[in-house]
Amino acid sequence: MTDATAPSTTESILTSTARDWSSDVTTFKGVPWGKAMMWIFLVSDTFIFTCFLVSYMTVRMTVTDPWPNPSEVFALAIPNELFGWQFLESPIPVPLLLIAIMTFVLISSSGTMAMAVNMGYQRNKKGVVLLMSATALLGFTFVAMQGYEWSKLIFEEEVAPWNNPMGAAQFGSFFFMVTGFHGLHVSAGVIYLAIIAYRVGRGHYDKTNFEIVEITGLYWHFVDLVWVFIFALFYLW
Amino acid sequence: MATEGQQHPIKIYLLVWALLFVFSAISYASDYMDDGVIRTSVILLFMILKAAAIVAVFMHMQWERYALIFAILLPPLALMVLMTLMAIEADYAWATRVEYMGEPIAPEPKPPPTHRH
Amino acid sequence: MATAEIPYQETVPLHHPKTWLGKYVFSQDHKVIAVQYGITAMAVGLVALVLSWLMRIQIAFPGFLEGFGADEYLSSITMHGMIMVIYLLTAFLLGAFGNFCVPLMCGARDMVFPFVNMLSYWVYLISVLVLLVVYPLMLFTDIQATGAGWTLYPPQTITAGTPGADWGIVLMLASLAIFIVAFTMGGLNYITTILQARTRGMTLMRMPLTVWGIFIATFLGLIAFPALFVSAVMMLLDRLIGTSFFMPAIVSLGQKLEYSGGQPLLFQHLFWFFGHPEVYIVALPAFGVVSDLISVHARKNIFGYRMMVWAIVAIGILSLIVWAHHMYVAGMHPAFGFFFATTTLIIAVPTAIKVYNWTLTLWRANIKLTVPMLFALSFVLTFIMGGITGLFLGNVIIDIPLSDTYFVVAHFHMVMGVSPILAIFGGIYHWYPKLTGRMLNDTVGKIHFYFTFVGTYVIYFPMHYLGFVGVPRRYYETALGGHFPDWYPVSAHHLNIFITIAALIVGAAQMLFIYNLVHSYFKGKKASDNPWGANSLEWRTPQTPPSHGNWDERLPTVHRWAYDFGVPGHDTDHIPQDVPRKESA
Repeated sequence: MTDATAPSTTESILTSTARDWSSDVTTFKGVPWGKAMMWIFLVSDTFIFTCFLVSYMTVRMTVTDPWPNPSEVFALAIPNELFGWQFLESPIPVPLLLIAIMTFVLISSSGTMAMAVNMGYQRNKKGVVLLMSATALLGFTFVAMQGYEWSKLIFEEEVAPWNNPMGAAQFGSFFFMVTGFHGLHVSAGVIYLAIIAYRVGRGHYDKTNFEIVEITGLYWHFVDLVWVFIFALFYLW
Repeated sequence: MATEGQQHPIKIYLLVWALLFVFSAISYASDYMDDGVIRTSVILLFMILKAAAIVAVFMHMQWERYALIFAILLPPLALMVLMTLMAIEADYAWATRVEYMGEPIAPEPKPPPTHRH
Repeated sequence: MATAEIPYQETVPLHHPKTWLGKYVFSQDHKVIAVQYGITAMAVGLVALVLSWLMRIQIAFPGFLEGFGADEYLSSITMHGMIMVIYLLTAFLLGAFGNFCVPLMCGARDMVFPFVNMLSYWVYLISVLVLLVVYPLMLFTDIQATGAGWTLYPPQTITAGTPGADWGIVLMLASLAIFIVAFTMGGLNYITTILQARTRGMTLMRMPLTVWGIFIATFLGLIAFPALFVSAVMMLLDRLIGTSFFMPAIVSLGQKLEYSGGQPLLFQHLFWFFGHPEVYIVALPAFGVVSDLISVHARKNIFGYRMMVWAIVAIGILSLIVWAHHMYVAGMHPAFGFFFATTTLIIAVPTAIKVYNWTLTLWRANIKLTVPMLFALSFVLTFIMGGITGLFLGNVIIDIPLSDTYFVVAHFHMVMGVSPILAIFGGIYHWYPKLTGRMLNDTVGKIHFYFTFVGTYVIYFPMHYLGFVGVPRRYYETALGGHFPDWYPVSAHHLNIFITIAALIVGAAQMLFIYNLVHSYFKGKKASDNPWGANSLEWRTPQTPPSHGNWDERLPTVHRWAYDFGVPGHDTDHIPQDVPRKESA
C-alpha cells in the first residue's frame, strides 16, 4: 500500500477497480473507517434528498393549480434609505436577492471548510480550529437567514405549509419541508463542526492524522451540494 | 488506518472556490432570461457543473481510487430511473386530471424581470 | 494472496466494560448486540403471531371473539404485516445474523464502530416500543392502532373511517422513522466492516455467502429505506399540519376535506421503491444463510460460488427497478405494466440460478439430515413454491384478476414470510452452539421442524385455491348477516376453518422452539468448537462461545474459500479457511 491514495497512472480504470475490489483486508485502499462510513452515509442521504426532490417534481407536475413564480415570491427590495439617509429614489426590487446571499454564504463556508481540511493535512491545529469555527459561523448565518426568509414568507406572503394564496398549496408544503430538512442538516452540521473544532483544539486527535477534519468536511460539502440542487430546482426552475 | 494525508496545492481550492461563485452568479443571472429550453438548460448545466466541482475537488473525489468512486457514484443511478419514471407518471396523472376535471385555470404568464414591489 | 501488512483492527483497543450493566446491557460487543436484536425481534414476532391467530379465528368462526370487531381486525392485519416484515424479519436477519456473522466470518474483532452499533439496538428498541405502545393506549384511551393495511396507502390511511386514522397512524409512522434511523446506524457498520475490516487473506470472493447476502441486503436497505423515510415524513405532515402531498381533494363522510391537489400514487411509488428492495433485504440474507447451511450439511462445496455471488448482486440491482409490479391495479401509467412485468420476469433469472445451484450442490452430496439442514431444504422448496406463484403475479393480465385475493396472501407468505423464517430457524439451529456453547435438543428440533414445514403447506397451499375462487383478502367477514354471498362457495368457508385450525397448531408449535432455546441454554449438551465441521472463520475462534474481541492477539489469516469439503487427496473431510495451502496440498 505505497502511496495508496494516489490513483495509479499505469493501471487502467477497470484494472484498478477490480484489483481493489478483489483484494483482502480493505476494499477502499487507504480510506479510514470513519471516512468510508461517512461516504456510505452520504449515499444514503442522497437517496433521502432525491426522494424529496422527486416527490416535489411529481407533485408540481401533477397539480392543476398555478405554481407561483419563485423568483417573484423570493424577491427582496434594496431599500432606498438607511437610517434616514436616502441614497436612492425608490427601492430596487431584486429577484431572489436573499437566496443569492445565502448561496454566497454557503459557498464561502464550503471554501473555508476545504481550507480547514487542507490545514488538517498540514497538522496545523490552529488553522483547523480557526477555519472550522469560521465555517460553523457561516453555517449559522445561513440558518439565521433562512429563518428570516421563512418568517417573511409566513407573515408577509401568508404562505403556510397547508396554504398558499398564490396558487398550489404544495408550493408552501414543499418549500418548508425541503428547505426545513436541509436547514436541519445545516444546523446539525454547525453543531458537529463546533464539537470537532473544540476537540481538535483540545488536542483530542493529536495522535491521528486529523482525518476527522476531512470526514466533517465531507458532510459539510454534502450539505452545500444539496443546496446547489435546491437552489436550481426550487428557486430558479 | 495510518494513511499519509492528501496534500494538494491550495491554489486549486481557491480556483474552485472562485469558479463556484462564478457559476452561481451565472445560474442566478438565468433568472433574468425568458422561460424556455435555453434557460432550463443553463440552470441544469450550471447546477451539474457546481455539483461536479464540489464533489470532485472539495470532497476530494478526484483524488480517490476508482474503487471508491464507482461505489459512490453508481448507486444513485437507481434514482435516475425513479426520476424518469415519476416524470412520465406525473405527466400521465396530469393528463387524466385534465381529462376528467377539465382544463386548469391558466397560470399567469411570467412577468418580465421588473419584479413585484 | 495474504499480505504481510497488519490489519488496522488488530491494533484497535477494544472497549472493555467494567460493570455488569456495561457487559450485558449496554454492551458494545457485537455478539451481545446480536442476541439483544434477536430476542427483541422474536418477542415482537410473538405479538404478530398472536395477532394472526386472532384474525384467523375471526375468519373461520365469525363472532367467536367478543370485542374483536372490524376495526380490531383491520388494525391486527396492519400490525401483523408491519411487525413481521420490518420489526421481525429485517431486524432479525440484519440485526441479529448481521451482527453475529459479519465480524466473526470476516475475521474482525468487532464492528468498526461498536458504540454506534450499540446505539443502533437501543434506537431499534425505542422504535419497537413506539410501535407497541398503541396496545396499552387502546386499553385506556380511544386511540386505535392503525388499520390501513401494512402498505399504509393514502388517502384512506388518514381519512375518517379507517381505524387509527387520528393517532394510530402517527405512532406507526414515527416508529418507522425511528426504525430507519436505527437501521442506518447498524447498516453503515455492517457495510464498513465488510468493506474495510476483513482479516488478512479474506478477499470478497472468499467470503461465505451469508456475508455476501447480508452485505448486499444492507446496502439495499441503506438506499431503499430513505424512500420509506421520505414518504413517512410527508404523510406525517399531511396528517399533522394539513399539507396535501398525498391527499387529493376528497369528500369524506359527506364533508369536503381541506386537502387538495396531492398525488396519492406518489406514495405508492415511494413506498414500493422501498418495499420491493425490502423483499430482497429479507430474502438475500436468507439466501446466504441457506447456501452456507446446504454446503456444510451436505459436505460438499457450494455449486457455482461465483455465480451465486453475482446472482446476489444482480438481484440487488434489479430489485431497484421492479417496484411498480405491486401497483398493476393502482391506476398508474398504462405503459408501466409492460416495463415492470419485464424487469420482474428478468429478476427471476438470477433467482432461478440460485435455486439450481442449491439443487446441484445437493446432487451426489453426502447429505446429513440435521435440523439446520432440514430447515435449509424446506427453505428451498418453499421458496420455489412462492417464487413460481410470483411469476403468475408478475404478469399483468394474470395479476389483475388475482389482485387482492388470497392468492396474493399465499404468495407473499410463502416467498417472503415463511421462507426467510425457515432460513432464520435453520441459522439459529446452526449457530446456536457457537453462540452459547451448547447444542439445541435434536428431537425437539425435529418435531418443531415437521410441525412448521408441514404446517406451512397445510396453511398456505389451500389459500391459492381460495384466491382462484376469488375470496378477497383483508375482509373482516364474508358472510353478511350469516349468509354467504352467492359467488362464495361454502367449501371455501370450510377450507378457511381448516386453515385456521392448522394455523393455531403451527403457531403453538413455535413454543417448542422457544422452550428448546431456553432449556438448551442451561441444560443442553456441551458443544464442541466446530460441531458441524464447517470451514468458515466463526468456527475457528479460540473460545466457544467466542470471547469479547473474538480472536487472540493475532487475527486469523485466510488462505482459501469457505467451501473446501471432501477435497480429493486430502485426509480430512473439510479444510477450514485459515489452514494454509501448502500444508493441505
